[in-house]
Amino acid sequence: MEFDELQKIWDSQTREPLWVINENALHKRILAKKNQAHHITTISELLLLFVNSIAGGLILGINFFKHSESLFLYIMAAWMFLTALYVLMSRFRRLKGENEFDRSMLGELNHAVSMATYQVHLSQLMRWNTLPIGILSLLSIWEGGKSVWLALGVLAFFALTYFASGWEHRVYTNKKRELESLQKKLEKEEITG
Amino acid sequence: MSELEQNHIFEMWLSQHKALLFKVVRAYAFTAMDQDDLFQEIIIQVWHSIPTFKQQSSNTTWMYRIALNTAIKWLSKERKHTQSQETLDHIQAILQESTIEMDERLTWLYEEIYKLDEIDRSISLLLLDGFSYKEMAGILGISESNVGVKINRIKKQLITKSKQQDCHGI
Repeated sequence: MEFDELQKIWDSQTREPLWVINENALHKRILAKKNQAHHITTISELLLLFVNSIAGGLILGINFFKHSESLFLYIMAAWMFLTALYVLMSRFRRLKGENEFDRSMLGELNHAVSMATYQVHLSQLMRWNTLPIGILSLLSIWEGGKSVWLALGVLAFFALTYFASGWEHRVYTNKKRELESLQKKLEKEEITG
Repeated sequence: MSELEQNHIFEMWLSQHKALLFKVVRAYAFTAMDQDDLFQEIIIQVWHSIPTFKQQSSNTTWMYRIALNTAIKWLSKERKHTQSQETLDHIQAILQESTIEMDERLTWLYEEIYKLDEIDRSISLLLLDGFSYKEMAGILGISESNVGVKINRIKKQLITKSKQQDCHGI
């Protein structure tokens, strides 16, 4: 068959819809989907924002009202507030850049890659962030003269957090790679052709 | 734009262009469950896109653009239907087979389109629906020459396959 014949088959057969829509079921499913549609990035951002602000506030409050002299705990509280501020600013930047992409396929893919890159950066940053917080926690334990077992427990907790966040980071990195490969596929002949 | 206006446009688009949406769903999703899932995704994206429609292109071009973008992104999702599998017994199918019997040559054509990669599938649908190179370039966000290269390759591939198919008596 030549292409014209394929075209004729297509034209004669695809005018009539293949399926009938069950509108009631469609309506229910869309509503259900809308309700469960929590955006991963927004959740991660808000979670980081709240966890860092609340933890920073608690550490500062306890340290202040107990008249503790632990310098490391004050540094840790400040560090957590700075992290929350950074996440907030990143969120504003991200939302501001949302409308910069056109609605072509390449535009949509560029948007998706940009979102994936943002998630990769955020997860990497938060992974590395466990190190200063872990070190400051250990230093404050040492400064307060607490037991070695407590220090070991805290060390194990931060080590676990570090490895778990590495797993999360890999999920985002794989997702980004997948999107980039699609982007390359779309642009391939643009360079060679 | 009020929600009432958005609803009105949505219903009008859906009734006018459902055949177009079905073509995209048929080309990108194989099982009935995936077809239902993709159709939902596309419908949601069409609904969201209504306020941003600037009438610089026709409704058909816009619907194709949204449907193809959604299908491509839906395909790249990992383990698409794990969630829906769990509740399969409790959900009602959205897409129900119509009474029209599909020509076996069309079934073959859909199968061949399905074998193409994500991007080429979009181009095949646009090509078969008579879009110009310029319109396709606009929908895909790539140059017309790039579209041309891809079309030549797809046409060659489809013609070769159809000839092989003819040899087998179909």
